[in-house]
Amino acid sequence: MPDWPELVRQGLSGLALDANEKDEVHLELAGHLEDSYEAFCRKGLPEEEAVHRAMELVSDWADLQHRILASGKGDPMQKRVHQLWIPGFLTFILSTTLLMTLQKLGFRPLIISWNGTPGTILFYVPWLLSLPFLGALGAYFSARAGAARAIVLLASTFPVLALATAFILMFPIDMIIEPIAGNHVDFGIVATAILKDGASWLLVPGASLVVGGLLVSFLFRRRPPSQRAAITSETTHA
Amino acid sequence: MIGSGIKRGTAELAVLSVLQEGPLHGYELARRIEQQTNGALHFTLAALYPMLYRMEQQRWIRGSWETSANGRKRRCYRLTLAGKKKLSPLQREWAELFRALQRLTKVSHA
Repeated sequence: MPDWPELVRQGLSGLALDANEKDEVHLELAGHLEDSYEAFCRKGLPEEEAVHRAMELVSDWADLQHRILASGKGDPMQKRVHQLWIPGFLTFILSTTLLMTLQKLGFRPLIISWNGTPGTILFYVPWLLSLPFLGALGAYFSARAGAARAIVLLASTFPVLALATAFILMFPIDMIIEPIAGNHVDFGIVATAILKDGASWLLVPGASLVVGGLLVSFLFRRRPPSQRAAITSETTHA
Repeated sequence: MIGSGIKRGTAELAVLSVLQEGPLHGYELARRIEQQTNGALHFTLAALYPMLYRMEQQRWIRGSWETSANGRKRRCYRLTLAGKKKLSPLQREWAELFRALQRLTKVSHA
C-alpha cells in the first residue's frame, strides 16, 4: 500500500498554509484516498488497480491546491506573504543583484540620447534579456502558492513597481527640496529626465518582466478552471 | 425567487442535508451522498474538500479529528447551529426550483 500522506504531500507541495494546517489537509486527503483504495480492494480489484483508481480521484493536483487556497482556508496574511511578498522580493533582489554585477563587471549600457534634451536612456541589454526569466521565476512561485492571476503578475513585476513607487515619491520631494536648497528647478527639464528614466528603468524592464509573468500565468491557467461547478452529476462507473 | 448561487447551493444543500443525520468524515460524506442519490450526485475530491473548507469558514459546519475503531484518525464534520439555519432556506430554494422546472417542462413527478 502506498504512503498516502507522502503522495498527497508531493501533490500539494506548494500549499501556502501554515505547517499545522498543511499537515491536517495532507492527512485528511490521504485518509480519503486510503478509504477509497480499500473500497476498491473490497470490490475485488487487484492492489495495483486499486491504487491507480484511488489516485485517479485527483486528476489535477495544481487545481486541487488552487481550490483549497481559494476556499479561504488559512491565514490571509500568510497567504499574501507566500503569494506576493516572497516571490516579489525574490524577483527584486535577483534583478538588482544581477544589474549590480553587470555594472561591476564593466558591462556598458546602450545609451540613447537626443541633442538638446536632458537625460539619456540607458539599456543594459543582458539585464533586460534576463528579466523575462526572473519575472517568470517570481510568477512561478506566486502561482505555485495558489495566487490569482493579478497577484502573479504583481509578483513578477515587483522590481519595477518598487522602483515606480520610489520615482513617484522622488518627483514631488525633489520639487520641494530643490527650491529650499536655492536651486532653480525647471519643471520641463525634470519631467523630461523622469520620463527618460522611466523608460530606462520602468517601462522596458517592466515589459520584460511581464513577458515572463504572462507566460507562467498562461501555463498555470491551462489547468481545468477552478470555478467549474462544484458538483458533477455524472453517474459513477462500475 | 431562486438565488443565483443555486448551483453551488445544491452542493451545499447535499452536504448540509447529509450532515443533518450525523457527523461524517469526507470520504463517508461523499459516499453517502452518492449512495442516497443512486450515483446521480458524485463529488470529485477537488470539489468536495475546498467546499467543506469554505463551509467551515462560514461556520456552517465544524471539523474535528476523531479516532475510529480501527485506530485511524479522520476529520469528521458536523452541522453547527448556523448550518442548521442555512439549511432551511436552501431547502426552500431547491423546492422552488424543482417546482419551477416542473411547471416549465409540464412533467409531473412521481
